[in-house]
Amino acid sequence: MKILKKGRVSIVRYLIKYSKDSEIKFIAHLDLMRTLQKIIKRSELPIEYSKGFNPHMAVSIAQPLSVGVHSKGEYMDIVLSCELEEKYIIDIMNENSPRGIKILDAVKVIPVEGKKKSQAMAIIDAAKYTIKLKCTKEEEVKETLQEISSTSEWNIIKKSKSGEKMINIKPLVYKFEYKVDSSILAISTLVACGSRDNLSAHLLADYMKKNIQSINKEAFVDIQREEMYATKDGKLVTLSEFLKNQ
Amino acid sequence: MNKISDDILFKVEKPARYVGGELNCCYKDKESVDIRFAFCFPDVYEVGMSHLGSRILYHVLNSRVDTYCERAFAPWPDMEKQMRENNIALYALESKDSLNEFDFLGFTLQYEMSYTNILNMLDMSGITIRASRRGEDEPIVMAGGPCAYNPEPLHDIVDFFELGEGEEIMNDVLDVYKKYKGKGMKKEFLREISKIRGVYVPSLYEVSYNADNTIKEFKPKYDDVPKRVVKRFVANFNEVDFPEKMVVPYIEIVHDREILETFRGCTNGCRFCQAGMIYRPVREKTTATLVEAADKLLKSTGYREISLSSLSICDYSDIKNLIVTLIEKNKENHVSVSLPSIRIDSFSVDLINEIQKARKTGLTFAPEAGTQRMRDIINKGVTEEKILEAASSVFASGWSTIKLYFMVGLPYETMEDVRGIAELSDKVAGEYFKISKDVRKRGLKVTASSAIFVPKPFTPFQWAAQATMEDVVEKIKAVKYAITSRAVTYNYHESIVSYLEAVIARGDRRVCDVIIKAFEKGAKFDGWSEYFNFEIWQEAIKECGVDGNFYAYRERSYEEVLPWDFIDIGVNKEYLILENEKAKKAELTQNCKIECTNCGINENFKEGTCFHSALSNKV
Repeated sequence: MKILKKGRVSIVRYLIKYSKDSEIKFIAHLDLMRTLQKIIKRSELPIEYSKGFNPHMAVSIAQPLSVGVHSKGEYMDIVLSCELEEKYIIDIMNENSPRGIKILDAVKVIPVEGKKKSQAMAIIDAAKYTIKLKCTKEEEVKETLQEISSTSEWNIIKKSKSGEKMINIKPLVYKFEYKVDSSILAISTLVACGSRDNLSAHLLADYMKKNIQSINKEAFVDIQREEMYATKDGKLVTLSEFLKNQ
Repeated sequence: MNKISDDILFKVEKPARYVGGELNCCYKDKESVDIRFAFCFPDVYEVGMSHLGSRILYHVLNSRVDTYCERAFAPWPDMEKQMRENNIALYALESKDSLNEFDFLGFTLQYEMSYTNILNMLDMSGITIRASRRGEDEPIVMAGGPCAYNPEPLHDIVDFFELGEGEEIMNDVLDVYKKYKGKGMKKEFLREISKIRGVYVPSLYEVSYNADNTIKEFKPKYDDVPKRVVKRFVANFNEVDFPEKMVVPYIEIVHDREILETFRGCTNGCRFCQAGMIYRPVREKTTATLVEAADKLLKSTGYREISLSSLSICDYSDIKNLIVTLIEKNKENHVSVSLPSIRIDSFSVDLINEIQKARKTGLTFAPEAGTQRMRDIINKGVTEEKILEAASSVFASGWSTIKLYFMVGLPYETMEDVRGIAELSDKVAGEYFKISKDVRKRGLKVTASSAIFVPKPFTPFQWAAQATMEDVVEKIKAVKYAITSRAVTYNYHESIVSYLEAVIARGDRRVCDVIIKAFEKGAKFDGWSEYFNFEIWQEAIKECGVDGNFYAYRERSYEEVLPWDFIDIGVNKEYLILENEKAKKAELTQNCKIECTNCGINENFKEGTCFHSALSNKV
């Protein structure tokens, strides 16, 4: 481990990009969190802990992933007590990860003078997903999708703790492309994500299931999160990029 | 390889139970190994993954270049339904290959109520349940673990048993297997391993019965098969192979922490306890060995809690030093140390005080019985004075929650003894109020739990009759009504499960048919109250023409041939008889740390010394 700056000058925050592969898609958020902490512990990174009787590791996941969803673009914030080379962090964490998790990138978050840098979870605006639904009659699916695409409102009941509510999800869908091939409807979509606006990929999939007859309702819906974005100068850039060239 | 489709997994509870791929799990090229071994735990994943013995043996087996050991667990009924509907055979987590493609299936027998799950796991893999009808091309089924000390109820399910500690015996067996593999010589293989110390091959022995259904004779069918099966144990426990890596499950399991095995055996000699007899002699690992193992394990697992494991952790000869060293070493690391259970005395309370400086979550004590007379009968060497002293010290140190474990239905127990459970619990609660208000923490809660005693083989109570269900119900009622303190909560178990446990625990070969019949009628997960169905078992017992009471409620004479008599655990039968006689008179036997009590272990097994690696200057 090569420490770039010795001594506890200040704590350093890193944004870590990682994957949650398909083989572990059924691992729930809290279990994944525990696993990430174990990876950090095994890597012997100089992780910071919260104060108090029951210290917690300074690790936070940017945006929880539902059970059953896999991802090539997950992010977490970690706080270290000294500065390390980014490549070292990536390599040592990969060495200590189980098969289903790969560390893809590490970016040092440079603190701006006099400003508390917001955590990854606060800057997310959008996420890209690939949603695969099993279907039967391909032509029928295509026709229905064309109709759906041209309507201005996609209304669906959203269930939450406070009750059920009919909402229009179309404004939350920024990009929507699809392909029907070998009895699979593959949707590639960019949707609102984060604390301001958020659309769950499952809800979008449910809308499609409800409105397209020949989608197999009993089958598993394969959802992969591809990437997460933040807005910089009016444009969406990946979280890594957002923090790299700040 | 089975493809477990997402269409199935997303419909079941906790799909992570069925996917494998955890940190430190072992993958090998199956083409490059000679032996494929499926380590099977007949219960659900979270329970099985918490079992230390399985984790050790997974490591031992995979240390062999020629062997690929994988894991299999009993699928929860929702997954079983999906698998059966979709014709998916039960598979091992690593390769996802069906269990019927393996050379060996090794089951660990931790509790009797998991036996039907063994049958179900075989059935789900398409493997013939009865060993006598299983074909040459089917896997060899073996079993070990504490319940294997009475192997007879599984005599026609399991091809061979391993008695004692598995670390060495497993290697001996696999070495022999390589000679026979793929040659259609299962019988010859079993005949040869029957000569390895610790191996029992039931098909090589025959049993005859008396008119009163007791055993007349148990003997080998052939001259070259040993008459007695002698248990195995690791003589130099300090140097035994201990995994430096352990599989770390993604999902939370029952014991989700690093487990460090400190010693084997126990010196207390409680008369109800099977583990206290079968794991003799006591052998320890040194503090140096343990500290080193802890370091390696922390590094490889990423756990932040170390749990010290053994039968009675406070009896470890260097306990204070071990705990202080582990705490000191890991102070900066944010790693904590925990003890699974503690002895009832102020020394132990001081110890736990050292560990749980911040979080005083609750403590568990096991007085086991309510009156002094009863505690003397079971040789639980603790006085009421000590119990109350410990409780007082616990409350004064800032705990307000205490759990007390008891047993009801013990041999020679009277109603007065049972009411003693309530009285003692009340007195413990009373100690709380003796502590000044500014010292004690608010919210006193004393939980008294009682389990129903099940007589087990190789204990001084192996001849005893179990208390009848009616009797137990009366006794539980008596405890309930005798509790006066509002701070005491009383929990108890259902007696019918304990009855069946007693039937199987001391059953003979005829009980095997009952287990098979019960399984055929749908029994599984019998240890889980939501699945346990007593009616099924009653029907099975009846249809097999067996009398359950014969096994559970009958007091045996010392002369009777017991089904497990052919096994030599190193402790003399005469010693068990003597202990039972002393129990009748409520006479205590000292802790053998103080002076040898002549159980026979160090006479019979010359290779093992009592207290190997222990510090002798500390008592």
